[in-house]
Amino acid sequence: MKHRRIPYALYIFCTLCLLLASTVAGATNYTLWINGRSGGGTPGNYSDFRYWGPAATPAGINKQAVNWDGRSSIASQSGRVRDALDCFCTGQNWCYIAAYSAGDLLLGYTLANYGGSARAVTNASANANGVCAASGGVQTGWNLKWVRVAAGAAGGSELANAGAWTTSEPLVQDLKTSTARAMYNHNDTRNVWFYRYAGARGTAYSFLLPGQDDEVVAYHSSGGVAGNAGRSLCNPGDWLCDDLRLGTAPNQGGSVKWSWHSVVFRDDGERFNHYGDGNWAGIIGVMRDAMVDTAN
Amino acid sequence: MTRWSIRPTRWPVWLALCVAAALVVGLVWHPDDPALPRAAPAPPAGLHFLGPVPVMRSAGEDRTARRRQLAEQVQLTQHTYCSYLQHTRYPHTSRPAAQHPDQLYPNQPVRESNPMRVDGGDSDSGVLVQTAQSRVYLAAGETVEFSLRAVDARGAAVPLVVTRALAQGMGATGSRFAPRVTLAFLQDDGDHWRATFAPRAGALAGFHGTIRSEVRFSAAGRTGVVLFDVIHSPELPAIWAGAPLEAIGPDALEFTLPLDVRLAGRYVVSGRIDDALGHPLALASFNELLGLGMHAVVLRVHGKLLHDADPAPSLPLVLRDVEGYLLREDTEPDRLLLARREGPVLVSRTLSLAGVPAHAWQSEERSRYLAEYAKDRAAARERLLAFDPAARLPPAGCSGPALVQ
Repeated sequence: MKHRRIPYALYIFCTLCLLLASTVAGATNYTLWINGRSGGGTPGNYSDFRYWGPAATPAGINKQAVNWDGRSSIASQSGRVRDALDCFCTGQNWCYIAAYSAGDLLLGYTLANYGGSARAVTNASANANGVCAASGGVQTGWNLKWVRVAAGAAGGSELANAGAWTTSEPLVQDLKTSTARAMYNHNDTRNVWFYRYAGARGTAYSFLLPGQDDEVVAYHSSGGVAGNAGRSLCNPGDWLCDDLRLGTAPNQGGSVKWSWHSVVFRDDGERFNHYGDGNWAGIIGVMRDAMVDTAN
Repeated sequence: MTRWSIRPTRWPVWLALCVAAALVVGLVWHPDDPALPRAAPAPPAGLHFLGPVPVMRSAGEDRTARRRQLAEQVQLTQHTYCSYLQHTRYPHTSRPAAQHPDQLYPNQPVRESNPMRVDGGDSDSGVLVQTAQSRVYLAAGETVEFSLRAVDARGAAVPLVVTRALAQGMGATGSRFAPRVTLAFLQDDGDHWRATFAPRAGALAGFHGTIRSEVRFSAAGRTGVVLFDVIHSPELPAIWAGAPLEAIGPDALEFTLPLDVRLAGRYVVSGRIDDALGHPLALASFNELLGLGMHAVVLRVHGKLLHDADPAPSLPLVLRDVEGYLLREDTEPDRLLLARREGPVLVSRTLSLAGVPAHAWQSEERSRYLAEYAKDRAAARERLLAFDPAARLPPAGCSGPALVQ
C-alpha cells in the first residue's frame, strides 16, 4: 500500500505538533467533589459518583469524585485528596472544590498542613489508584479557585462526642469537637475562600446538637465558627439563641468565623437536612446548584 | 491508489497542514474560553453568590435570571481577585493576628458545654455539663488537666459527684487498649471536679494516639458520662537546642530557633508575636522538610505587616507560645509533638522599624494566582457585557466591602 511510503518522521512530527497544541490548549478547569462520612465511591476512581447521586447530573465543569473511605482517620485519608489535587490542580489546570461534611475537615487539614508544599506537576491522567504521572516541573501548593462546603464538619459534631456513632471508627474520634478544632489551623486556607452552606432541618438529634442543626452537624460547625464548640447558633427570630450571621460577619453574641470562611447559605426555612439520599438531595443539592452556576 | 492515499512527494504539504492545524487548535481553542459555550448544560437553578436566600429559578429560560447569574459571576471573580491581592501582601507564613483569632492563645483550656448525657444514649437537657481540658495534643512528658461541673438552665450549679474515671488508649481500629489508668477527680473549693492526667507516670507512658478518659458521675439523680480525648506523643522527634536568635532579613524580622532533629520529616511550627503592650500582632508559621541534625526554624514577621499595623506596634516585639510537631504523612497517629515553649521565648532587640523592609510579598505562587484570578475576572466581565451591553460593571479597582475578611 502506498501510504506506507509516508515518512515515519512525518507521523512523529505531526504527533508532536498535536501534543504541543494540546499542551497550549490544556489549561483546564476541574470541579472536585470530596465526600463525607461513610464513603461509598471507589477511592481513586474519579468517575465514580455513587456517593452523591446520578453521575450524569451536572455538578460543575469536568467534575471529579475524590472518593475516600469515609471511616478512616483524616490523616490517613489526606493522601487521597493530595493525589486528586496533584492530578487536577497543578500546572495549567485549576480547580473548584465542593466538600461535604467530614470532607470539609479532610480538605482543611490537607491545605493547612500541605498547602505550601512542593507539588509535582502532573498530566491529569489518573491510574487505577487515582495517581497521575508527573509531567515535569514542580510548584508550590495547588491551583485552587475557591471551595464550597455543605454541612461542613471541620468543627466536629456532638454526635461524635456523645457516642451516638460507634467509637470503633477512627473518623469518629477525629470528629469529636475538641479534636476536630485542635487538629489544624482552620484559618490557614492559603487565602482560598470557603463558601459555606448550613442546613437546619434537623430533628432527631436536636437534644445533642446545640442550636440549629441539619441532624448531624450544628451551625457552629457548618457555619465555620472559630473557637470552642458547644455554641448555640440559630436562624434569626429565635430569641433564646444567637443568630448565625451571613458572610464573614461576627455572629450575634460575638463569635467569629474562621478566616476565609463565609456563610453564603443559612437555612432560614429549615428545609434542608444533612443527607444526600444518593440523589444530590438535602443541603448537598443547594451547594450543587451553586457549583453548576459558578464552577465553569 | 485510493483517493485518500498520500503521495510521498507531497509529504511537505501534509507537514505544513499538520503544523497549521496544530497551531489553530492550540492557539485558538481553549476549553475554558468564556466566549465558548459551557461544557455543562445550563444550570437548573441560580443561587445568589453572597446572598442569604437561594431563589430557585430556571436560568436557561429566564433572561433576567441569566443576567443576574452573570452579574453574580462578576461579583464572585472580583471578590476572589481583590481579596487575594489585598491579603497576600504578606506571605502565608506571616499573618496578622486578627486573621487567626483562635490560634493566639494555644495554651488556654478548651471549654465546652453540653446537655448531660445519661446512660442509654439519652440526654437531660435540663442539666448542662461544663467541661474543660487544658490541652488536646500532648507532647511527651506533658500533663493535662480536666474539669467538669453541672449547671441548670439558669446557670445555677447542680450538685455533681464523680463516681469513676478511667483513661484508656484507643487502638488503631478503636479497640481499647489495656491497661487502663484510673484518674483521681477531686472537688475543688467550688463546684468543679478536677483531675490531672500525666501519661508518663503510668502504664500509658509509651502509648501513641488518642487516650480517652471516660468520666462517670451522678447529678440531678441520674448517672451521666463525659468523654475527654487527648492525643499523646510518647517521644520527642526533635529537641530545641540553643538560644533563639533575631535578625532583620530581606523581607522580614526573623526569629530563629535552633532545632536538633532526631526524626527527619515535615515540621510544622507556629509562634505568636505580641507588641510591647502585649497586643497580639502576628502569627508566624514554619512548614518545611528537615533532615537529621541541627536546623534553624525561622519564624518571620513580614516587614510590611509591621509597617502596615495601625496603630503602629509598640516595640520591642515578643515571640511567645511556640508549638510544633513532626507531621507523619498518611500515618495515624499523624504527629509527634515538639516540647511546647509556653510564654515569652524571645524579646526582640529591634526598637525601630527604620531598617525593616516594607515591600509587599512576591512569589511565583502569588503571581500565578493573581494572573488566573485576573483572567477569570476579565472573562466574567466580558460575558456580562456580551449578554447585556448596557450592564454597569463594578469598578475594576479593589476596594469596598467585598474585601472584608
